[in-house]
Amino acid sequence: MRFDGVWFRYGRRADWTLQAIDATVEPGRTVVVLGRNGAGKSTLLQLAAGVLRPSRGAVLDRPPVIGWVPERFPADQPFTAGDYLHRMAEVRGQDPRAADEWIERLLLTEHTGTRLADLSKGTAQKVGLAQALTARPGLLILDEPWEGLDAVARTLIPEIVAEVTGAGGIVLVSDHRGEIATLPEATHWTIADATLSPAPPPSAPPSAPARPPARSHDEAPSHDEVVIEVAVPRATADRAVAELRATGHRVLRVRDEAGAPAGPQARDKAGAAAGPQARDEAGAEAGQQTRDEGLAG
Amino acid sequence: MSALIRMRLAGLLRGGRILAPAIAVLIVLGVIYGGGPSPAAVAYGYSAAALFPVLAWQTKVLLDTEPDGQRRLARVALGARREALAGLLAATWLGLFVSAVAMVAPWLFRGIETGRGVLSGTLLGVLAHLLAVPPAVAVGALAGRAVTRGVRNGVAVLVVAAVLVVVLGLQGSFAPWLVPPVMATARALNDVEPPPATTLIQLIVWAVLWCAAAFAIYARLRRTRS
Repeated sequence: MRFDGVWFRYGRRADWTLQAIDATVEPGRTVVVLGRNGAGKSTLLQLAAGVLRPSRGAVLDRPPVIGWVPERFPADQPFTAGDYLHRMAEVRGQDPRAADEWIERLLLTEHTGTRLADLSKGTAQKVGLAQALTARPGLLILDEPWEGLDAVARTLIPEIVAEVTGAGGIVLVSDHRGEIATLPEATHWTIADATLSPAPPPSAPPSAPARPPARSHDEAPSHDEVVIEVAVPRATADRAVAELRATGHRVLRVRDEAGAPAGPQARDKAGAAAGPQARDEAGAEAGQQTRDEGLAG
Repeated sequence: MSALIRMRLAGLLRGGRILAPAIAVLIVLGVIYGGGPSPAAVAYGYSAAALFPVLAWQTKVLLDTEPDGQRRLARVALGARREALAGLLAATWLGLFVSAVAMVAPWLFRGIETGRGVLSGTLLGVLAHLLAVPPAVAVGALAGRAVTRGVRNGVAVLVVAAVLVVVLGLQGSFAPWLVPPVMATARALNDVEPPPATTLIQLIVWAVLWCAAAFAIYARLRRTRS
């Protein structure tokens, strides 16, 4: 897909929102569009989706099936979530039941009977995701997809992006909160002063894509962090660590307490919640296998 | 595209926004047929003309019921042309349905004189409504939020168009071709004797050309206005 000298403004007398955009995205690639509020990220994405038409220039070689997830889902409609998704599948010429797969995957099943207007913001956002994904898009456009989503749904987004690009599709994502760290191998575009530059913003050098806070995994928790102990099945430990890191959490260490009869041990390094069960750090290190280094970050 | 047409009509009915235009239709019918029976051609000719602004208004209501974001989602799903066409077709279906109701209802209240000319009058009435629905859809679509972008502009387009249809449609108007032949059709039918075939053909050609121009303008505007 190619932006060929695309210029755009919202009215004849308005200032140019985007100027002379020339960019190419190869199939199977993810592009993260960065920029501050009002910089023109949404405009660029809507031009890519075909919602807006360039004032000059053209968007060429767009994949035929496009899924667009707007920043705000238009919830003011007299349909239930299930009815809406089935109807949108039909609008795309699909079997209405094609939507059921995504209703299930995005955990919308319990909301299918709820009117769109009564959904919470995050759930409405998931309905927006489901309508776009049901179409099996060759071009998926996500406008601030993390907005309002709960932790479970957040982990789904990198997964969904990987599925679309894995099938040779293109994904365009806008992001102003620096969640992009969860999308590995993404190309970064920055919009500033109505122009597009391919380099990441100065605050996020290419070697470490914007992952705030840019702290290493073995650094001790700071005063504005808390430590949550989580137990996961041994078989899925690697995946859990990857997912936690993907959502921007720092995994301090993994403890394998095989055979140890002890219950959950409070190990808050910050000391704030250290209870009677807290071990001293040296003892804990000795008593368990630390696998932190071996896991992919 | 039929799925989108159904979705938009369902949205209009379930949202309850159809209510105001529906009441307007009842008022128009009450005014026309409240005074007792009249010849079919005359009654239906006036019915088509009087319904014109209501049909245009209900088109605007239908197209504006959908939030802008949903219209854009439909545009991404179907492409700009088919999304716009689906709106026009949904409005046309609704217009034809209301016209059918407006033609059947007077029979229930003995609003139509039976006897000589009732068959030809009814057929002419069908023609009159068929000549009114597409221009009304075009006016309503041009007044829709997708084109006018704001409530004030939309209402202004709708009201000005409805007034011009009457004013420029009067006998002796200086530019009757600027508006669809709604008033001209009502005048042609204002007689127990059916109008000559040439008059009818003239009216049909006029309506077709006017609609072609109006829909071309709509299509052109909707290319950039999503």
